[in-house]
Amino acid sequence: MPAETQPLFAAEGITKRFGGLVAVSDVSFEISRGEILGLIGPNGAGKSTIFNLISGFYRVTRGRTVFQGQDVSSLPIWKLARIGLARTFQHDSLLKGMTVRDNILVATTQFIRNPAEREKRMSETIDIMGLGEVLDEKASNLPHGHQRILSIAIAFSGRPALLCLDEPLTGFNQTEVLGGLDIIRRLREEFATTVLIVEHNMRAVMSLCDRILVLHHGKLLGSGSPEEVQNDPAIIEAYLGKSE
Amino acid sequence: MLFDKLNLLFLATVAASVAYCLAVPGAFFVQVILWATLAATLGAGIRFVMLVGELNIGTSAFYGIGGYTAAYLTTAYGLPFGVALVAAGIAGGLVAAVFGYATMRTSGAYFMLISFAFAEIFRMLVVESDFLGGNNGIIGLFVSVEYEPYFAATVVAILATLISALAVIENSSLGKSFIAIREREEIARSVGINVLAIRVLCLVISSVVIAVAGACSGFITHLVTPNDYTFMIAVFALAYVKLGGEEHPTGPILGAILLTLAAQYLISFGAYQQVFFGTVIAVAMILLPQGITGRLRDLVRLTAKRTARDAG
Repeated sequence: MPAETQPLFAAEGITKRFGGLVAVSDVSFEISRGEILGLIGPNGAGKSTIFNLISGFYRVTRGRTVFQGQDVSSLPIWKLARIGLARTFQHDSLLKGMTVRDNILVATTQFIRNPAEREKRMSETIDIMGLGEVLDEKASNLPHGHQRILSIAIAFSGRPALLCLDEPLTGFNQTEVLGGLDIIRRLREEFATTVLIVEHNMRAVMSLCDRILVLHHGKLLGSGSPEEVQNDPAIIEAYLGKSE
Repeated sequence: MLFDKLNLLFLATVAASVAYCLAVPGAFFVQVILWATLAATLGAGIRFVMLVGELNIGTSAFYGIGGYTAAYLTTAYGLPFGVALVAAGIAGGLVAAVFGYATMRTSGAYFMLISFAFAEIFRMLVVESDFLGGNNGIIGLFVSVEYEPYFAATVVAILATLISALAVIENSSLGKSFIAIREREEIARSVGINVLAIRVLCLVISSVVIAVAGACSGFITHLVTPNDYTFMIAVFALAYVKLGGEEHPTGPILGAILLTLAAQYLISFGAYQQVFFGTVIAVAMILLPQGITGRLRDLVRLTAKRTARDAG
C-alpha cells in the first residue's frame, strides 16, 4: 500500500487479559494520517488499557498493533518513541524536580544531538506551548494548567507522527480548555501531527475530534463523527443508561 | 550563586594541594591530601550512580578491581604507573558493563543488595586467588625513583580532573537523562531513552573513575590486600555524600575532606572509627538532611529573601 493511503496506525483484533479479566476484547480500528481521534467510554470501559497497548506500556495478549506499516506489538517503549509514537501521562506526567527547560531538553535530546539544532527545536516547542515565561521554574512549582501543557510539550518534543494524549484537559477551567484545544489543533495544522485523545470533557472532545471511538466493557461499541456518536442510541444508552 | 562559588573553591583547593605536593613532596600532610583525594573520588563516584537513583555498594569492588589490576600488572609485568592507571580504568569499565547489564534491570533495595553481594564476592574471590596473593595481597607498587617527587601532585591532578569530568557529564544532556530516569522512569522511556543502556552507561563511567582511584590507592600504600577493599569503602563514600550533601558535585568532596581530617584524630580509636562513620551518616541525615552544601544553599536563599524584603 502506498504510504499516503496507508493508515498511520492500526489495531488489529487486540485483546488484553489480566489474569481472568478481559480488559480489552478483540478491538480493531485505524487512525488515519492527520486525524484527531477521540477515545471515549464510561469508567472501566478499557480506554486506559487501549492507550497503554498503543503506546507499548502493555503487551497485547492477542492481535497486533501496526504503526506506519510496521508490526510494533512487541517493540519497547523507547523504540516506539524514537519512530514517532509518543504519549502523555494522566498522573505524574512531569520530571517534577527538574526545571521546565530541562524537562523539554531531556525529551528533545533523544532526537536531536546537535546542540544548535536542539536549541532551535526547543524554542519552537516552548513557543507553541506558551511556556516561555516559566522556563526556569521547577516543574513541581508550576500551576496545574502549565503542568498539563508541559506534559504535552515533553511528548511533542520528538515531533511524533502520532501523539497520544491521556486526559490532557483534566482539571482545566473553561479558558484553559480553550487554550489547550487551540494548542492541539495547531499541532495538527502546523506539524501535521496525528492525535489520539482520551478525555472526559465531552464538550471539548466533541468540538476537537474528527472522529470518535466509543468503548464499552472492553469492546468497540461504535465510531463516527461527533454528531453521529451523539445521536447513536446504543452509545447514548451505554453512557446515560436506558431512557424510560 | 553559591554553587558557582563552591566550584571555584574546589578548583582553588585542587591548585593549592597540587602546589603543596610539589613544594614539600615528603611531608606528612601530603599523605593526608592523598587520602582526602581518594575519599573525594569515592564520594563523587558513588554519588554519580545516585544520579540514576541507585546506591552502588559495589563501589568498593570497582575500587579493588582498579587496585588489583594495577598491582598485578606492575608487579608481574613491570608496567609503569601511567599504563597501570589506564588498564585499571578499562578493567573497571568492562566489569561494570557486564555487571550492570546483568543487574541494572533491578532498582532500589534490590540493586543495593545485589551490589553488596558483588562487593563481598569480589573480596572472597581475591582471598581465594593465589595469583593475587590471597589474604596477603600484593606488595610492591612503586613509581620510579626519579618520578617520586611528582607522584602525589600527579595523583591529585588526575583524580581532580576525573571528578571534574563527572561534574561536566552531570551537567550535559546525558546527565539530565540520568536524572530523568531517577525522577520518573516511565517518562524517560516515553521520550525515547533506552533506560537500561543509560543506567549501565552511568555505572560504567562511575566505575572507570573509581577503578583509577583504586589503582592510585595501591601506589600510595605500595600494597593491596582484600581488607583494603571491603564494602566499608562504600559506606565511607556514602558518609562523604550524606555529610557534604548530594545535590551538588562539590558536596561529597567537602564531606570527604572533613571526614578525612577528622579521621586523622581518630586513628587511635581503631575499630571504633567505623562506629564514628556510621554515627556521622545517622547524625547528618537527622540534622542536615540536605548535607552541608544543601544547608548552606538554604541559608543563602533565606538571606537573599530577607535582603530583598528589607529593600522592598
